[in-house]
Amino acid sequence: MRLRLFTFAFLTVLILAVAPATFAQALDISSGGLPTITGAVNGSVTGNANVTGDLVVTINFGEVSPLNTNSVVKVVVPIALRSNQPYQVAVSMSGLTNANSEALQASDVGFGLQNPRLLGGAGQICNQSTHIVRSPFNNDPAVSAAIGANGRVSYPSTLASLSGSTVILSGPELSKNNSSKRQQSDGWVFDAVFALTPQFFVSGVSSATLIFTISPGPNAPC
Amino acid sequence: MPHLTKSLLLAILLVISAVTCFGQSTTGTVSMSATVSKFVEINSGGAVTLTGNSGGGVTTDGVLNSPLAVSINLGELGPSNTNSFVTAQVPLKLRSNAGYVLSMTGTVTSSGTTSNRIGAADVGFGLGTISRTGTGVNTSGTDTNATSGDPTLAANGSVNGTSGRYEFTAVRSNLSAFSSATTALNGSFIMNAVPRSNGNGLTVPAFFAIKPQFFENGTTTISVTFTVTAP
Repeated sequence: MRLRLFTFAFLTVLILAVAPATFAQALDISSGGLPTITGAVNGSVTGNANVTGDLVVTINFGEVSPLNTNSVVKVVVPIALRSNQPYQVAVSMSGLTNANSEALQASDVGFGLQNPRLLGGAGQICNQSTHIVRSPFNNDPAVSAAIGANGRVSYPSTLASLSGSTVILSGPELSKNNSSKRQQSDGWVFDAVFALTPQFFVSGVSSATLIFTISPGPNAPC
Repeated sequence: MPHLTKSLLLAILLVISAVTCFGQSTTGTVSMSATVSKFVEINSGGAVTLTGNSGGGVTTDGVLNSPLAVSINLGELGPSNTNSFVTAQVPLKLRSNAGYVLSMTGTVTSSGTTSNRIGAADVGFGLGTISRTGTGVNTSGTDTNATSGDPTLAANGSVNGTSGRYEFTAVRSNLSAFSSATTALNGSFIMNAVPRSNGNGLTVPAFFAIKPQFFENGTTTISVTFTVTAP
């Protein structure tokens, strides 16, 4: 009995001793706060207001035919990132495959990354490397929208800019401490900005799913 | 089960619980959807052209890309007007993201009491040349004009050899064919995927014509309503 207890205690201590070392390499992506939507008709966005909650956001752009007389439907999704090592964020997309070119296409949904800031005012500030929003995603698509030669609205970067799993962001470590728990204020927040201009699209309902993934990134000394 | 194994399993469970409690994740999901409803609209295609009139004039003119609300005084329609026809040409502008149907309803009310008063059959009507031009317009779209075009064309009317009254005889060439909502034009989607701020669209002139004759004296009111739908 004594041996069993000893074995159990030993293993527990061993695991707890090893765990922090393992978790110290943690990479985490979560909600960065409540997402917002403007310019929508019958649209909505839901997400987690708590920065320790998972990033699970549902956007309904609503009506995007000319029945919506607003100039653009804009959605801002704050995303919190934590790591104690260089990181990168990649995005992959599924859905939104309308065969009719006049229907809503991936290229009709502007997508950019903006407004990097410390999570809750605290996070790792590195002097030797910066957080890099990869080209062409460093823009606010609602602001940078333009009319193309064919009269259709275009953006510097859209969901069509995603090819497979596309890295949109990378940089040095994001968190100061080695806690593997989600902190309210130890990381960085970036805004994923989506813009969709109401147009004479062919009628129908379209949907897409984006998966944001954080993983170890290229060397970026802090 | 050996105690060591039990202990190992317990320890693994502890680790799993710990990881779960830490609540970290390397992925997040953003799901999105959008709806595009069928959309059609009719507006003015510009200013009205009134010809052959004696007196009268355009009371409320059409304003390009504004809601269609035109008022016209055709003037004198008795024999004192020696012109062949009094013709009003009203430009229409249609836009849609789906196949469309333009229908029309017309009513004619005259103060006269005899069969010589102006009636619906005395008001010629037709749609002219359809134009799909400009950036953002589906220029390869097709349209079907259910009217016979300009009612003043020789092929669309003539003097009745028996009664001597001028008649608009072609298919859907006068307002008697539009006493209830009747299709005047239909076609495929008009606009490509461009914003509403794009000012282009399908334009077509609506012709209204009356041949001055020995009508019974009085006043006549002609009211026409255009409706565009996306069936």
